Amino acid sequence: MDDIDAMFSAMLGEMDLLTQVTYQPLFAYILFYILILFLLLYKSLHELEGNDLDALMADLMADLNATEEKLATEIEYFPPPRSSNVSTPVPSAASSLAPPPPSGAKPTTEEIEAQMKADKIKLALEKLKEAKVKKLVVKVLMNDGSSKTLMVDERQNVREVLDNMFEKSHCDCNVNWSICETNPELQLERAFEDHENLVDPLSAWTRDSENKVLFQERPEKYEVFKNPQNFYLWKKDKTTLRDMKDKDKELLIQENFCGTSIIVPDLEGVLHLREDGKKSWKQRLFQLRASGIYYVPKGKTKSSRDLVCFVQFDNVNVYYGKDFKSKYKAPTDFCFVLKHPQIQKESQYIKYLCCDDIWTMNLWVTGIRIAKYGASLYENFKTAEIKASNSVWTNRSTPSSSNQSTPSPTVKGSMTSPPPPPPLAEVLPPPPPDPVLPPPPMAAKTASKPTPPKRNQPNNFPPPPLDMDNLPPPPPPPPTDDHLEAPPDFLPPPPPATGFNSLPPPPPSFGGVDHSLPPPPPDPVSLPPPPPDPVFVASGAPPPPPPPPPPPPAAPVATLRPAVRTSGSLKKVPPAPPKRTAPTQGGGGGGDFMSELMLAMRKKHADQ
Amino acid sequence: MAAWDLSVTVEDLGLDAPPVTISVASDLHIGGVILKLVEKTQIKQDWSDHALWWEQKQRWLLRTAWTLEKYGIHADAKLVFMPQHKPLRLGLPNGITLRLRVCFSNPVFQTVMGICRMLNIRHPEELSLLRPIEEKKKKKDKNLAPEIYDLTEVPLSSVSRPCLYNGMPAHFADSPEMEAIYKMLSVSQPPPAPEVIAKQYRPASVVDKAHINGRWLDSSRCLLQQGIQESDKLWLRFKYYATYDMDSKYDAVRLTQLYEQARWAILLEDIDCTEEEMMLFGALQYHISKVAQSEPQIMSNNPAMDDLDSALQSLEVKMEGEGSSASDLLENMTAPELTDYLKIFRPKRLTLKGYKQYWFKFQDTSISYFKSKEESIGEPIQMINLKGCEVAPDVNVAAQKFLIRLLIPAPEGMNEVYLRCENEQQYAQWMAGCRLGSKGKTLADSSFQSEIQSIRSFLAMQKTNSSSSSANASEESINTHSLVSPRYHKKYKPKQLTPRILDAYQNVAQLSLTDALMRFLQIWQALPDFGLAYVVVRFKGSRKDEVLGIAPNRLIRIDLSVGDVVKTWRYNNMKQWNVNWDIRQMAIEFEGNVNIAFSCVTADCKIVHEFIGGYIFMSTRSREKSETLNEELFHKLTGGHEAL
Repeated sequence: MDDIDAMFSAMLGEMDLLTQVTYQPLFAYILFYILILFLLLYKSLHELEGNDLDALMADLMADLNATEEKLATEIEYFPPPRSSNVSTPVPSAASSLAPPPPSGAKPTTEEIEAQMKADKIKLALEKLKEAKVKKLVVKVLMNDGSSKTLMVDERQNVREVLDNMFEKSHCDCNVNWSICETNPELQLERAFEDHENLVDPLSAWTRDSENKVLFQERPEKYEVFKNPQNFYLWKKDKTTLRDMKDKDKELLIQENFCGTSIIVPDLEGVLHLREDGKKSWKQRLFQLRASGIYYVPKGKTKSSRDLVCFVQFDNVNVYYGKDFKSKYKAPTDFCFVLKHPQIQKESQYIKYLCCDDIWTMNLWVTGIRIAKYGASLYENFKTAEIKASNSVWTNRSTPSSSNQSTPSPTVKGSMTSPPPPPPLAEVLPPPPPDPVLPPPPMAAKTASKPTPPKRNQPNNFPPPPLDMDNLPPPPPPPPTDDHLEAPPDFLPPPPPATGFNSLPPPPPSFGGVDHSLPPPPPDPVSLPPPPPDPVFVASGAPPPPPPPPPPPPAAPVATLRPAVRTSGSLKKVPPAPPKRTAPTQGGGGGGDFMSELMLAMRKKHADQ
Repeated sequence: MAAWDLSVTVEDLGLDAPPVTISVASDLHIGGVILKLVEKTQIKQDWSDHALWWEQKQRWLLRTAWTLEKYGIHADAKLVFMPQHKPLRLGLPNGITLRLRVCFSNPVFQTVMGICRMLNIRHPEELSLLRPIEEKKKKKDKNLAPEIYDLTEVPLSSVSRPCLYNGMPAHFADSPEMEAIYKMLSVSQPPPAPEVIAKQYRPASVVDKAHINGRWLDSSRCLLQQGIQESDKLWLRFKYYATYDMDSKYDAVRLTQLYEQARWAILLEDIDCTEEEMMLFGALQYHISKVAQSEPQIMSNNPAMDDLDSALQSLEVKMEGEGSSASDLLENMTAPELTDYLKIFRPKRLTLKGYKQYWFKFQDTSISYFKSKEESIGEPIQMINLKGCEVAPDVNVAAQKFLIRLLIPAPEGMNEVYLRCENEQQYAQWMAGCRLGSKGKTLADSSFQSEIQSIRSFLAMQKTNSSSSSANASEESINTHSLVSPRYHKKYKPKQLTPRILDAYQNVAQLSLTDALMRFLQIWQALPDFGLAYVVVRFKGSRKDEVLGIAPNRLIRIDLSVGDVVKTWRYNNMKQWNVNWDIRQMAIEFEGNVNIAFSCVTADCKIVHEFIGGYIFMSTRSREKSETLNEELFHKLTGGHEAL
């Protein structure tokens, strides 16, 4: 428990510091709020299975939404600089600002005002929603069965995520490293392309998905740029291909990737096609063209004009099929599949193809990727190559820090000695506070993003006395100031500093607030020893750092957690549709939330 | 030295005039001969372009310092004194014919350079001249002969890059007529009438295509040597499909003509493509002609505008991402929202119910529907997120059928949903919304209005002329048969073709003119048979004719009976290539002791040799960045003199 306290005090110390730095006392409250959230989640993580955690998260989300709504009403009561303008031409302002009011009758001015206010709130909340960048906490499985958890926001592409993983894993950063997605239900897997957005495809996973994200080396990823002859001259005999000179390889890349248009390998061959609905596989002569895959209909020539389009690539991705011989009675196990990324279950819209050997399969899958992604593929490769060559020495310098990354579960027994403080850095999604944070409340009208933290603040701040009493006094700011990121920082979640490489507890998503989360705390090593806190010790909370019980590599839990509401696309987040009635619910929401928190905590105590 | 009489025909005196006879000695140099000749004719004019042509030997006597003896000219020589530059009718890739003065005395390579200089086409080495296919026209059609645009008054200049005025060479800015001609060169032509396409010669087989390649002129000899006379007609075409350094800023004519050549290659099935590709080519042609005719200047000459647009757009995105609510608020207030009664049908559900009417609301990227307008405040019956869905039109204007077919992805598969609209107006709006939604864009996106517009103008194509309302006449007159090859004229009626092309059109409707041209060229270049020039050959030791395909990077051997590629040789493995002029046989040696030799059946072996050497030359360009054309190297690579 001591570690939690250490953390806690570190946090408080930071709060102090931050308030100084930013001249923004409100910010401290936000920090505090987050801290509470974190503590709660952190504790629950060790006891709860994924489902419970989900429920908990849902609760939290609901609460957050409620508080947001209440806060919205409160904001209205701040003396708004613009309110004088707004209040006089009430009806016009309302109609221009607000979404269409359903009922035209406006009997009294109070009603009108109330409605206007409500509409504005709705608007403000909508703004808020839009402003939120969607984020996911993703558990990435490593080759050795361990896993890393990281926060991915929707603006990040796979390249950036890979870079994050490089820093976390200290692998050799070669170009083969890929982020892959597996679908156990369909027995599919595919490596994401580096330019792809990671959040989008992950958002397509179903609620109960068994899908996983893997971090592994896949030599076939950029094989076409290493040995282009195997793809572009595949008809030649094997020895010619093997003895290809580098100069000629370069020329092939030049010809096919550097011209006005990207040239797709000229593939043609008999593949086995799984027939719709039937369990049989039928042979067909397929041809790959830039515009799609075609087949030669029975009794027709191979002339282009007779070809029948089998699939075009705009809306489908290509996946490797695993063990299709037993699953679908495929002629071989060298199968690939084309499907819309959102399809997650058996469907007639999935197209199954089977090749005679692995070589043919790689030829086709790579060919399809070239046809689909074109120049991006080569750009990705070039970037990856630069990355790989740069990392040769950068990684040399920090190999030792990775030791931290596997905290032994034995810490649990050694509660007396203060265990190392939990690596908060990984848990708290780094997105730094928005620079527009400080403006006075009414600024929300012009800058919606800073509003969420502010909203949480007034309600959440009055914490239950019990909790407050137990809080240790904020320790002096940690000496290592330089670890503190300056609050105004525009960067999307930056990769954590190398000092923070310890394995984090699987962080649940932080709901609506994560974009306003504070910067990571200072290097844990530099934290002052926290004052012991009897209450927390008594709670017997599990030791801090360990990730959920080291997952048996065979059955890791799906760890994807959609973090933020995205206008209705994710069912799991209660939508909290801000209705015009919102203001009436107001009053003491923050207290509710805090007391709930307390209840939850107490319950845990009692359980132990 | 003894003097003797030399008779010279002076063209300027008229065809029937007797030769002028002058007294010369064998040590008189050509310059002296010309001087004497001019004095004798008594005509005062600018003779500077004139030179002597030796008819028996088919050569120009251009070295004025050489003596008659050195040239080997005796009294029996038939000499003609005439201008080196003469008018020629030149057919351009876009089908129009120019009359312009070209050089008859220099190698064709230089003649083409001169033509390209006049027409403002960069990289003349990629083009060449060929003899046109004889048009088998009936006498009746004579008066329908295409108009010829005269450029013979353009002064000949030797400046390598003409100075530009208003974005065009100065000689085109002289008069409105000249400006109109330049516009014709630099702006793509409207789609041809289907009958015009049907009437044109179409190669039916590889052998037919091979015959066309026998018509290329020899780049190292002059026009007169190749039997081209004054006012003959030749075609100017891109010969080497290795377009290098294309820049829409400088290459308005080049880009347009290359596009036109590609378009005709598609329409006349000179290059094969699939039906899907044909529809996309059709959609791009439609789009290009529409954009080119509406605002060619703004679109083509202002690439900066595109940059600005995209910059603004990315700024918008950035601001959205950072949640700056000033722009958000503004956007939201003006964000259009579509609401209306529409009919919905789900074919996959096992219900016998047909279309059912609901109150529909389009917001963000989703469609929700409610029982009625009054109930639209509450929870919708269903909300459909369109992101990533497939949208297909199913429209029949005559039957007043306006259907939007949606294929909406879900974890279980794709759900089919049809939305039925009442009228064109409604359809255009909702269709535009669905398309944006499928790309993850909202109605607030800047392209919404133009999307609506393009859908409406496309619908206008389906309409009969009588019921015309909004769209202007030129758009309505486009027949979809003008956009595809005659094969599809037989296969589909224009009305059947329209939805297919419309389907492909939705992906290209937002492209700028330059982008659309480039897209067309890219898809063309990505076709498997792109850039192949065929020649029927007979390989050494083989008894049957086979086809050699010459591509920018390789040679392929095609078995005529099967049509399959039997063998591929890449140029980068080539060690040397020679012509044995005695037996007119090409011999090529590749690395690893691979030797091939063949005689050419449908083209002169010089043409084949030049093709291969030309491509080698084209590949040398990128390395040396110099702007000047290495003509000497070209002739060295293409001339075939090494074998002599």
